[in-house]
Amino acid sequence: MRSYLARRLLLLVPVLVGVSVVVFLVLHLSPGDPAEIMLGSQATQEDLARLRRELGLTEPLYVQYLHWVTHVARGDLGRSLWMKRPVLDEVLNRYKATLVLTASGLLLSTLGGIVLGVTSAVRPHSLLDRASAVTSLFGASMPVFWLGIVLMVIFSLWLGWLPASGMWAPYGGGDLRDLLAHLILPAVTLAAASLTIIARLTRSTMLDILSQDYIRTARAKGLVEGRVVFRHGLKNALIPIVTVVGVQAGYLLGGAVLTETVFAWPGVGLLMVQGILARDFPLVQGCVLVIALTFVLINLAVDLLYAYLDPRIQYE
Amino acid sequence: MPARHSFSSMMAPAMIVLALALSLAALPVAAQPAGTLLVGLVAEPVNLDPAQVTDLNSNRVGRRVVETLVTFPDESTQIVPGLAESWTISKDGLQYTFKLRSGVKFHDGTPLNAEAVKFSIERQINTEHPAYRLGKYPFANFFFGNVKAVEVLSPERVAFLLKDPRASFLAVLTAGAASIVSPTAVMKWGPDYPSHPVGTGPFRFASWDRGQRVVLEKNPTYWKYPAKLERVIYRPIVEDQARLTELLTGGLDLIVGVPADFVSQLEQNPKVSVLKQTGAHVWYLGINNQKKPFDDKRVRQALNYAVNKDAIVRDVLKGTGSLSKGPVLPGTWGADAGLKAYPYDPEKAKRLLAEAGYPNGFTTTMWVPESGSGMQAPVAMSTVMQSNLKAVGVNVTLQTMEWGAYLTKLRSKEQELFALSWMAGNEDPDMVMYPLLHSSQWTPVGPNRAQYKNARFDDLLQQARVTTDQAKRAALYREAQRILVDDAPWVFVDHEIQIAAFAKRVQGFKLHPSFDLRVETISLK
Repeated sequence: MRSYLARRLLLLVPVLVGVSVVVFLVLHLSPGDPAEIMLGSQATQEDLARLRRELGLTEPLYVQYLHWVTHVARGDLGRSLWMKRPVLDEVLNRYKATLVLTASGLLLSTLGGIVLGVTSAVRPHSLLDRASAVTSLFGASMPVFWLGIVLMVIFSLWLGWLPASGMWAPYGGGDLRDLLAHLILPAVTLAAASLTIIARLTRSTMLDILSQDYIRTARAKGLVEGRVVFRHGLKNALIPIVTVVGVQAGYLLGGAVLTETVFAWPGVGLLMVQGILARDFPLVQGCVLVIALTFVLINLAVDLLYAYLDPRIQYE
Repeated sequence: MPARHSFSSMMAPAMIVLALALSLAALPVAAQPAGTLLVGLVAEPVNLDPAQVTDLNSNRVGRRVVETLVTFPDESTQIVPGLAESWTISKDGLQYTFKLRSGVKFHDGTPLNAEAVKFSIERQINTEHPAYRLGKYPFANFFFGNVKAVEVLSPERVAFLLKDPRASFLAVLTAGAASIVSPTAVMKWGPDYPSHPVGTGPFRFASWDRGQRVVLEKNPTYWKYPAKLERVIYRPIVEDQARLTELLTGGLDLIVGVPADFVSQLEQNPKVSVLKQTGAHVWYLGINNQKKPFDDKRVRQALNYAVNKDAIVRDVLKGTGSLSKGPVLPGTWGADAGLKAYPYDPEKAKRLLAEAGYPNGFTTTMWVPESGSGMQAPVAMSTVMQSNLKAVGVNVTLQTMEWGAYLTKLRSKEQELFALSWMAGNEDPDMVMYPLLHSSQWTPVGPNRAQYKNARFDDLLQQARVTTDQAKRAALYREAQRILVDDAPWVFVDHEIQIAAFAKRVQGFKLHPSFDLRVETISLK
C-alpha cells in the first residue's frame, strides 16, 4: 500500500511535466501575441518591440520553456504579464473559492445523484423514475452558462431569493449564511450535469444488482427493504459510481471556468479566463498546473477508495 | 408494504438537510453602509497604475486615485488646469512650462512638486531611471516618445522639453499615462506599486479583494472639493445578465457598458435611469488605398455609398452608436460642422464602380476581429456591410480573427478591407488623424493601416501640429477633413455612444466623452 502510494505520487512528476509542456505549447502556438493585445490598436512598432523584449517573448520557445520550468521547480511561477503580480500568490488566493465551489458541486451531484438514482431504481417506471429521466436529459444537455443564467433570472431577478453573483455580500464582511446564499446558484448550476450522469448510472447499476440472487436471498431472509437496498445493494453499486464521481470531479473543475464567469465567482477559473483573453502566459500556465495537480490527486484518492469499498482489491 | 415505507423514511433526512440549507441561506440582507456607491465593471482592473495599463476598466478605477497636470471638465474634453495651475508654451513650441498648485499632497503625505512630475514621466522613458525597471509602460513611446527631458525649474515649476513641436502635447498630458504618482510610494512598493496606487485624486486606494472588489475611500483633504461619497466599491462582473440583475436587485448602483440589447428594457424600468453620451471614438472600415482596385478614389467612394450605415446604427447597434462623417468627434473644436455623411445610395455606388471600370463589381476580403477594445459588435456590423456590398456587385469574403492575431496581421500591407476602431480619449484631431492617416504612419511603422497618402492632407496635418493657435489649427483640420471625406480612405461608420444605467438614488452622475468614469460627481439620495 505504502509503496503503491509512493509510486503514484512519483508518477505525478511526469504527468505534470506533460501538462506543462502541452499548456505551454498550446498557449504559445495559438494565435495572439500578449504584447499586441496589451497595447491594442494604438501601439507603435517601437513600443511593441520594447514590450516583447521586456516580456521575454523574443527568446526561442524552448528557451522560454526551460526558463519557466526551472523557476517552477523552485516554486516560483513567475509574475503575471498583465497584473504584474506573482502568479503563485494570485492562484492560491483564488484557489479557495474554486475548491469551495467544486467541492459543493461534487457533494451535491454525488448525494443528489445517488438519492435520485436509488429512488428511481427502487421503483422503476414509476412517475418519479420517469420524471428523473426527463430531468436528467435536460440537465445533461443544457449548457452550463445557459442554465446558470436561467437560474439567475428566476431566483435572483424574479423571486429575489438569492444573490446573482459574487461570493460575499457586496459591502464585504459576510458570514457563513452569506456564503451559502451566494453558493447555491453556482453550485446547483455546476452540479446539474454531473448529478444527472451519476443518477442515471446509479439507477442502472442498482437495477442490475437488485435483480441478483443474493438480493432475493436477503429479502427472503426477511430483511427490511431499506437495509437490502443500502447495505446489500448500494454498497456493491458504489465501485462504478465512485469511478464516475472521480471523472466528474475533473469535469467540475473544468465546468467551474464557465460557472465562475457567469456568477462572478472569484476562483481560478475566472482568473484563467482573464489570463487567456490577455494571453497572460505565466498566469494561465500557473492556473492549469494547479488545476491539473488537483485533478490528479482526486483520482489518486478515488483509486485508494476502491480498496475500502471492495476488500478484494489490493494495491501492489 | 411496510418495507417500502421504511425506505422512504430513510430518504427523509436527506431532504431535511437540503431544506435546512436552503432556508438557512435564503434572503441575506446585508446592511448598507452610508455613502457607499457600488459600481459594476465588465472586467476586473488588471492594475491600478494608469501608466501601466491600456484597458478602460483599469483606467476608470485607477484615475480616481491619481491626477494629471491638465485635465477635462466634467462634461467635455476641453483642456482645463488640473494639478498645474497655469502653463506657458515657448514660441517655438518646444518647451511647455507648468506652474503647480501649491499645498497639494499625495495620499501618503508626500508633497506634490516638480520632482514628482519629473519622476512620474521619466520613469517611463528614461532607461536609467531607478523606477524604469519597476514597471512596463506600454504607451511610453506613443505618448512621450517626443519628450526629450523633464526639467525641475523650482519646486513648483516644471518644464517639458520636446524633440519636435507638437500642438497636441497638452492633450497628451491628459492621458492616464501622464498621471502624477507619489515617488515615495512607487519606490516603497516597487513592482507591486500597481496594487497600492498613491496619488492626489478625490479618492484614495483602500483595498482590493482579487476577483471580488476594489475599494476606494474619500480623500478628505482633496484640493478641489471633498467627494460626496464616503466609499466606492467596484465589482467586476463579466456576465451581462448578472451585472444587470445585480443592478435591479440592489447589488450594484451603477453599471456602464450596457449591452445594446438591454437598453430599451432598462429604459422602461422605473427603478433605474439610463444615460447616454457619445464618446471620443470612431469605428471604421479601413480600405487599403494602395491596393487595386481600391487605389481608385471612385471605388472607395462607391463603398461608402453602398454601406447602409443608418441600418447598422439602428438595427445592430440599437442606438449605441451615432453616425460618423469623419474621424473627428462632431461638436468638438476640430470637427468640421459642414461635413456631409455619404448617404446610402447603392445606385450611385454601382455607377461609380462602372466608371472606375468595374461594372460587374469585384471580389475582395474583409478582415474582422471577433471582439476587441472599442470594437462594438464587429462581426454583426461587418456582416451587414458584406451584404450591402454584395448588392452592388462587390463579393466580400469575411475572415474573422482573434483580436491579438488580428492586430498582428494588420501590421502588414496585405489587408484589403478591415474593421477597426480608435479611442482617442481626448478631442485633439492630431491624436486621431495623424497616427491613422498621415503617410509617415504607414504600417508597419505606425497605425495608418489604410496606407492613405495625400500630399496636401499630410501638409495640413503637419502645419496644424506646429501651430499653437487653436483657431488656426481648427481651420487647418477642417480643410483636412474635407479632403479626407472626398478621398474616402475608409468607410466612416459610427462613434460609440456610451450607456450607463444607475439606481434612482444616484444623483449628479454624468458620463464623460473621454470614457472616463467620474464617480466623484455623484451623491447618494
